Amino acid sequence: MTANCFSGYKDLIKEGDLTLIWVSRDNIKPVRMQSEEIFNTRYGSFPHKDIIGKPYGSQIAIRTKGSNKFAFIHVLQPTPELWTLSLPHRTQIVYTPDSSYIMQRLNCSPHSRVIEAGTGSGSFSHAFARSVGHLFSFEFHQVRYEQALEEFKEHGLIDDNVTITHRDVCQDGFVIKKGDTTSYEFINGESAALLNANVVFLDLPAPWDAIPHLDSVIATDEKVGLCCFSPCIEQVDKTLEILGKHGWTDVEMVEIQGRQYESRRQMIRSLDDALERLRDIKKHKIQGVERRKRMFNNTVDSSDEKIEKRSEEGIPLTEKAKFNPFGKGSRIKEGDDNYKWKEVTKVETEIKSHTSYLTFAFKVINKSRSDEKVNEVLQSMNKQQKD
Amino acid sequence: MDTLTTIDFNQHVIVRLPSKNYKVVELKPNTSISLGKFGAFEVNDIIGYPFGLTFEIYYDNEETSSDDSKDSKQKNKIPIGKVKLLSQEIKDDNNDKSDGQSEIPLAIKKIPTSVELSSVDSSATNQNLVNMGSKAQELTIEEIEKMKQESLSSKEIIDKIIKSHKSFHNKTAYSQEKYVNRKKQKFAKYFTVEYLSSSNLLQFLIDKGDIQRVLDMSQESMGMLLNLANIQPNGNYLCMDETGGLLVYFLLERMFGGDNESKSNGKVIVIHENEHANLDLLKFANYSEKFIKEHVHTVSLLDFFEPPTLEEIQERFTPLPKEEARALKGGKKNSYYRRLRWYNTQLQVLELTGNFLYDGLVVATTLHLPTVVPKLAEKVHGSRPIVCYGQFKETLLELAHTLYSDLRFLAPSILETRCRPYQSVRGKLHPLMTMKGGGGYLMWCHRVIPAPEPALETVTEVESSDTVIEHDAKKQKI
Repeated sequence: MTANCFSGYKDLIKEGDLTLIWVSRDNIKPVRMQSEEIFNTRYGSFPHKDIIGKPYGSQIAIRTKGSNKFAFIHVLQPTPELWTLSLPHRTQIVYTPDSSYIMQRLNCSPHSRVIEAGTGSGSFSHAFARSVGHLFSFEFHQVRYEQALEEFKEHGLIDDNVTITHRDVCQDGFVIKKGDTTSYEFINGESAALLNANVVFLDLPAPWDAIPHLDSVIATDEKVGLCCFSPCIEQVDKTLEILGKHGWTDVEMVEIQGRQYESRRQMIRSLDDALERLRDIKKHKIQGVERRKRMFNNTVDSSDEKIEKRSEEGIPLTEKAKFNPFGKGSRIKEGDDNYKWKEVTKVETEIKSHTSYLTFAFKVINKSRSDEKVNEVLQSMNKQQKD
Repeated sequence: MDTLTTIDFNQHVIVRLPSKNYKVVELKPNTSISLGKFGAFEVNDIIGYPFGLTFEIYYDNEETSSDDSKDSKQKNKIPIGKVKLLSQEIKDDNNDKSDGQSEIPLAIKKIPTSVELSSVDSSATNQNLVNMGSKAQELTIEEIEKMKQESLSSKEIIDKIIKSHKSFHNKTAYSQEKYVNRKKQKFAKYFTVEYLSSSNLLQFLIDKGDIQRVLDMSQESMGMLLNLANIQPNGNYLCMDETGGLLVYFLLERMFGGDNESKSNGKVIVIHENEHANLDLLKFANYSEKFIKEHVHTVSLLDFFEPPTLEEIQERFTPLPKEEARALKGGKKNSYYRRLRWYNTQLQVLELTGNFLYDGLVVATTLHLPTVVPKLAEKVHGSRPIVCYGQFKETLLELAHTLYSDLRFLAPSILETRCRPYQSVRGKLHPLMTMKGGGGYLMWCHRVIPAPEPALETVTEVESSDTVIEHDAKKQKI
């Protein structure tokens, strides 16, 4: 039994734990702690034994080779969102703005039983697994299935609440039977798994081929939510057609736009300072001209300031640095205390302007109630009131 | 009955009206619920059906008229009708629930879709359509009102309105469809009963015009907050919620899914700036009082940062042995139990503010964040996320800068997420012409534990491998 390393909270980093080592924003590495191993970066080496035993979230510092500087890393407990950032991409992945919206809109909670097809890089699977009761994931690509299965096993998801099945759901539907290539463990006498899903997520090139198969695996007595994740609008159009035909209602397509901002500072440079600086330059220029004039007229006397400085090319150097409110000519670190700054945000240089269209639809298969049962409840209630 | 999937008695549910408005109602047995101009229905008639179904209110004309004659005072009261499940075709017209009034998505099939349109002609273009304003409609407002009084079904009323519309046949089929949908919003008598999810509660508050109260939150921002904060059923979360409990409800729904029987032991500790926490909105929640008591605790900022000591508490009150307490009489007994409650609350404060480290910090407050967050974060365990919701980017920006220079916080980022809804009609797919602005921003970072100060030796400069990179990138050339 492998413990789920994405659910629950750990205090200390232990031998054998899967950790995420944060080197920088775009360099987060999954590392399993093994006391004899060493984590190498271009800044230096971090022996695991110096990490094990420390609390999660610890910064680990080493002295870099041949310099007096320190380098450090942070060791974190994996979360689905950090995992998404660190992921080895097997396919295009579903990013947090999309996955979190889908989960919220389909009201994901421990009460949810989710179908996901396909598994892909397993990024969304981790987020589902963290929050829902059970996840049934389907992947039609043999190699990706095996990779995902291996990964889910290592992460303890299979032993917890995830089932993964190798299947082309468009052709063969979602029913998991004995003998299928699946991580599902059949209990004595069981010939097919009871999926009873109330949330469905289809990240497939042709979701319209899979939708007709859903009726046999979704919950019949409650409202079931569906989301199709398709990059092209033509796919949405075809999906809408099939959803209508198969009794899915409340259909709506949306697009999610996520943005990330960098916190930056811009120097506050006032007009007065700019004017003053120009005056200063002008003054020095005039002084320079006059000085040169005097030199030309050979009227330089000992009382005049020092001999004029000239560069090797003979160009006179003005002393314009006298009033330099903006630190021109030198590199100023953003936020330098000697200057005034305005806090600003800067959007990422490259944004994900389109991920996919999300088409939502809902279905209740059994739209009836048992009048008998309602009457029973009513009678018992009325009785209680009388008593 | 499963109260999470089935409409049940004594439950708060959300009702979606033809006008796209929402209403929260409590389903008390043997009572009726009025939906204003959309009619009224008996609670007992909808119990036992699964959530997500649409019911139509209809009237047996004899019954309602006899009612009227019996009691003339009741004339203005909305007559209570019977309900039946709305047939599929009609329901589909209502396929778009969350969007503005301006664009009503058309049905997703071959036109014409509405039963109301099955017997009327339409025009290929609107070439012959002349705008003659209200003159096109021969029915007067009074006549329509009379029909409503007579409790005709919405279909009958709309049929009559169409018949009395002089240039209706000159409209295109799409335009006719839009016309019918618009009339339905006015005259239709149907409603959809939904589970009171956190998103539905938010939508209800937005519709009600409580945008300011909920700090301009959007479903997408809340969803992202829950994921980034890594909310789990067994976590203990520190939370500041200035929305009157909406954020807490989002947390609870994600953690427990509305299940009073949940075996999970997660807790939300609400830190409040007033003497008492405002969690008004939880009155709509279907969690039992016992459940809330077990999973939601409230502590004022003062108690959180300056908790009383055990001695101070015990100085003011010591509980009596149980038998003695039971033997107390009348007023004395009441006051004793009041003070016992106080005592237990104080002990709980001690427990919550002790050495305990939380699994996350989730904040939606208008207090000055750079003063609040670093202090609260002292009680957050390493590697756990901190997520702040803010209506304005600027307040989060100031916070991000503050956290950036504090080694206890890893990689503060400011995030924004916006959902853009489309008119979801085949062949007519396009983004809606208007949508709600706003939705706020999130600041996300992780609590970390800085390495101890490096030994003095020869070292003076400390640079992290990642700050080296980030600082380099940040040098501003002027």
